[in-house]
Amino acid sequence: MRLLTHNMLSCNIKGVTNGFPLKLEADKWVTKEVDLNADFLRGIFPKIEWSALLAAARALGFAELPEQADASMLSSDDFLRRFHHALLELHVEEGALVCPETGRKFPINKGIPNMLLHEDEV
Amino acid sequence: MSTLLQSYTPPSVSLRLRPRPSRCLRPLRFQVGRMGNSVVRAQAATEATEAATSEGLKKGIAEFYDESSGVWESVWGDHMHHGFYEPDTAASLSDHRPAQIRMIEEALSFAGVSDDPMKKPKTIVDVGCGIGGSSRYLAKKYGAQCRGITLSPVQAQRAQELAAAEGLADKVSFQVADALQQPFPDGEFDLVWSMESGEHMPDKMKFVSELARVAAPGATIIIVTWCHRDLSPSEDSLKPDEIALLNKICDAYYLPAWCSASDYVNIAKSLSLENIKTADWSDNVAPFWPAVIRSAFTWQGFTSLLRSGWKTIRGALVMPLMIEGYKKNLIKFAVITCTKPN
Repeated sequence: MRLLTHNMLSCNIKGVTNGFPLKLEADKWVTKEVDLNADFLRGIFPKIEWSALLAAARALGFAELPEQADASMLSSDDFLRRFHHALLELHVEEGALVCPETGRKFPINKGIPNMLLHEDEV
Repeated sequence: MSTLLQSYTPPSVSLRLRPRPSRCLRPLRFQVGRMGNSVVRAQAATEATEAATSEGLKKGIAEFYDESSGVWESVWGDHMHHGFYEPDTAASLSDHRPAQIRMIEEALSFAGVSDDPMKKPKTIVDVGCGIGGSSRYLAKKYGAQCRGITLSPVQAQRAQELAAAEGLADKVSFQVADALQQPFPDGEFDLVWSMESGEHMPDKMKFVSELARVAAPGATIIIVTWCHRDLSPSEDSLKPDEIALLNKICDAYYLPAWCSASDYVNIAKSLSLENIKTADWSDNVAPFWPAVIRSAFTWQGFTSLLRSGWKTIRGALVMPLMIEGYKKNLIKFAVITCTKPN
């Protein structure tokens, strides 16, 4: 699971109002290099919840994203490289996504999150 | 092998392993009527939505696809949906993959999804994604990000492998999730895609509500699904023999109650969705089931089936019932599209 995907997932347990972002607990993660596409990064930036990306990257030991980000930074190659790395090159293979409100853990196995709810959560 | 096909008779009720309450009796409650009426009935039909059997249904669906995806893929490839053919044409096996691609293109065209770089979808959700055939196709076509959800862990894994093999791993990702509780925030996607997954949804209202919820303002929603025929104004329900036929199909394919295309239209209206359109493509999919049956009788198909499991084999045995359903104008292949208001 890339952090780009993490940025779009939320907890949908019945009654939960604050299900995003999910906290990331990673037991196994890898880096897979991907070609940087500046146009793509500039296009996706407005859709990214920065604080969620920041926290998830930190959970994977990548602390090189700025605390805040705005569109003006997209002209900096250095910023684009860091953004690209966090968003697309870090892959969580095993771990869990944790609901910020209930603490419920959604497992990630072989890179795939399982977001299925139990009967009593629906 | 061909004499086997000619002498084939549909399975009798005795093939059911154990009696179970028929989910398919619920078509009684999905009725074309005054708009408010059918919506109320649809909601009533989901009271407790047989809560116990809903979990059972999801598990059954996951297991069915965990078991049979590989067989399908080995014979038919990565698109687990009907092909779109010219009416009244015979189709050879090599025609089917282009027909499956055409089905995707016809649905996009019917919905009016734009190719224009400024207007084309940038984020797409594939609801009931199978092994990701549509996801990968749409991601490539539009250069978009696509998220697929499926109940089957085996399918999600396979979908991801295929994406990586095609160099699309940075564009598409797959999650195990329930279409009735999509794990996405509101308004996330420009295109909401459900290609032949609607028939698995036990609560059509919830299904369409979730499609609408995750759709961004102005987004397009496309549903291509199996329905039963619309009821005439004088009808309260399908006829008993029609219900009986659908029951048998439901059990084998882990389908809950069927509804009609009009029911979907009414649900969309009740959710204030706009530009609602529907069409009956039954004539355009007619060559499909006979072709699938023929493929089951090829050496590859047959041996794959034998190696699969009971769920897959039962699914294969029930295929002639699908043909019967289409011939009786009971089963319809429907497309329903709409947009989320801005």
